[in-house]
Amino acid sequence: MEIGHRYAASAIRRRDVLTGGAAIGLGSLMAMGRSAPARSAAAPTLVNSIRSLSNPYHATWNQGGQAFAKSVGADYVVLVTEGSSQKGIADIRAILAKTGGNMVLNLDANDSADTRPIVEACQEAKAHVLTQWSKSADLHPWDHDPYYVAHISYDNLKYGEGTGNALIAAMGGKGGIVALGGQIANSTSIERKQGLDKALAAHPDVHLLDFQAADWQSIKAHDTVSAWLTRFGSDITGIWCANDDMAIGTLEALRAEGLVGKIPVCGIDGIKTAVDAIRAGELVTTVSWDPFWQGAMGLSIPYHARMGTFDPTKEPRDHREFYSTGIVVDKTNADAFYKNNIETEPKVDFNDLWGRASGQIRQG
Amino acid sequence: MPSHSVFPRGTPSVRADGVLRRKLGGRLQPLVPVVVLLALCIMITAANPRFLTWLNLVRIAASAAVPLVLSLGLTVVVLLGSIDLSIEGTMAIGSIVLSLLVANDVTSFRLGWLALPITLAATALVGAGNGLVHVWFRIPSFMVTLGTWFIGLGIAAVVLGGGTVRILDPQIRGLALARFLGLPWLIWVAVGALILAWVIQNYTRLGRHMYAVGGDENLAALSGIRIRRVKVAAFALAGAFYGLASVLEVAQLGQANAVSGEGRLFATVTAVVVGGTSLTGGVGGPLNSLVGVLIVVVLANGMILIGVSPYLQATIQGMMIIVAMAIGMDRRRTGIVK
Repeated sequence: MEIGHRYAASAIRRRDVLTGGAAIGLGSLMAMGRSAPARSAAAPTLVNSIRSLSNPYHATWNQGGQAFAKSVGADYVVLVTEGSSQKGIADIRAILAKTGGNMVLNLDANDSADTRPIVEACQEAKAHVLTQWSKSADLHPWDHDPYYVAHISYDNLKYGEGTGNALIAAMGGKGGIVALGGQIANSTSIERKQGLDKALAAHPDVHLLDFQAADWQSIKAHDTVSAWLTRFGSDITGIWCANDDMAIGTLEALRAEGLVGKIPVCGIDGIKTAVDAIRAGELVTTVSWDPFWQGAMGLSIPYHARMGTFDPTKEPRDHREFYSTGIVVDKTNADAFYKNNIETEPKVDFNDLWGRASGQIRQG
Repeated sequence: MPSHSVFPRGTPSVRADGVLRRKLGGRLQPLVPVVVLLALCIMITAANPRFLTWLNLVRIAASAAVPLVLSLGLTVVVLLGSIDLSIEGTMAIGSIVLSLLVANDVTSFRLGWLALPITLAATALVGAGNGLVHVWFRIPSFMVTLGTWFIGLGIAAVVLGGGTVRILDPQIRGLALARFLGLPWLIWVAVGALILAWVIQNYTRLGRHMYAVGGDENLAALSGIRIRRVKVAAFALAGAFYGLASVLEVAQLGQANAVSGEGRLFATVTAVVVGGTSLTGGVGGPLNSLVGVLIVVVLANGMILIGVSPYLQATIQGMMIIVAMAIGMDRRRTGIVK
């Protein structure tokens, strides 16, 4: 029964995504042309610009955007870069022209260098914009008042250290760790690894046996862990992964050797299969960025700035460039997290604009 | 066409080429990838003797299973002188068809093993589609399969809504987790696929026709071979192999999503070419691909065993490709190298 129910729920989500997919396929502007005439001349169009809809993370982000748009009765458009900065920038310029600047943009830029031309284009068109994750280091919301409302990121170092500490605790405070990162030059991966290094520095009885780049991919993690088992054997007492996909690959490599559950493993990102693994007692911890919140609040904050709920120029800097709060998931809250965030659509108070702001982003 | 007819006889470069050809040419040339593989194994064992333990060899074989089956598929196409870039898209289709039909956490289908032939049929159909568009509309296989790659990813993304399916079917998972004679089943499946590919390539009319088409398409046409039919069949066969590979990968990872095949295309092309199958067609075969896959997988395993810095690994992989090509490529049939 439960499965049937969930299938129905996912079928609905699938249809939503299909609409998004059609928008990509036909060109998002055509899709907009098809949509009903604007319900209210004043309501700005809400635009999410993300990488693609083919990964669970951004698919959930898109659901958040849809939910917020529905709550305020505004038109909603999702643009996907598919990994192309050029396409990302061109699509945004096109929709700025189409809406005459009467829009709100929530941007997860394909590349940090893209943020400056996009923010400048929004400012010129008098559209409000919020950026997430990456931006040029010298680009600041307060230099583009009032249209560049805010930038949100997550403290990768803090959460890399947090999962490292949880892993070390599960290891009993001693032993050897092997660690898997994303692409070798990826800044997110580097910062999370620095967090692990910090956790290791605080625990002299735990040492790092090896660090490898598995490019965020589960299959590469799988093969790397297999080779590690040959090289280090039982010296491995904990495996730290910079994301959940690699943690899943790690768990499966351990399962093939009958070691799953015997060696603690941790991940980051909060994907469904990782939460399942925590509930099954195989994974120690993960951190959810709550992409539903990112997709919804990334629109809600600039929307409220545009509607005059608050004046961005009067907000403190830790509301203009801030770290949001991730949700740490471990065995104490995995069941509740699964029920509230995965099984059902998460409940987010769209008016709680600064509830998750946890400090100004470090510069440099 | 032999290379010396292009240049005047006696120029130094041609003479050097001639010496190289005499030394490596004839029956020894195909053995070069094997020599590269053995040299790699010896060097890695010298640095870390654990490389040669039974446990590690089983781990290498398990890591090589999916790349091997993919390479067998790609080899069929490359032998024609065509290329197939649709590997990752076809794998995406294969893994969602399989994962949604066996016990999983999204749909209520519970087809078990019956899902296997359906998956292979679906991916063979994708391959046949590649072949049909390629021969009917006379579009280069490079472009057709590039398109299919993204179509496959797109379909998988739409069907799954960007989500991930978890496999709950114990029999499918058993391919990776259960063992027969000490080896995980997926290794036996990959070996079976290798034997099948070898038999098709060497002992069936279709297989021999593929070599003929890849060797010289005009000549093959003049001898009455139905080129179009051979090509469509080859692409369909390749698709079926990719489907089988996606089954093995799903079994290994216990989950499927649109990006299940991510990163597989480059590794597969590398393995096929390093194994000595010529991109111009007509030369090579399944056994070459086996050696090529082993070179790639052994190198990846060995670099971790030796403790090569992750900063250097990509560089070493690149150097290995060039070295293997430099000494192993069969230049006898290549007039001009572009």
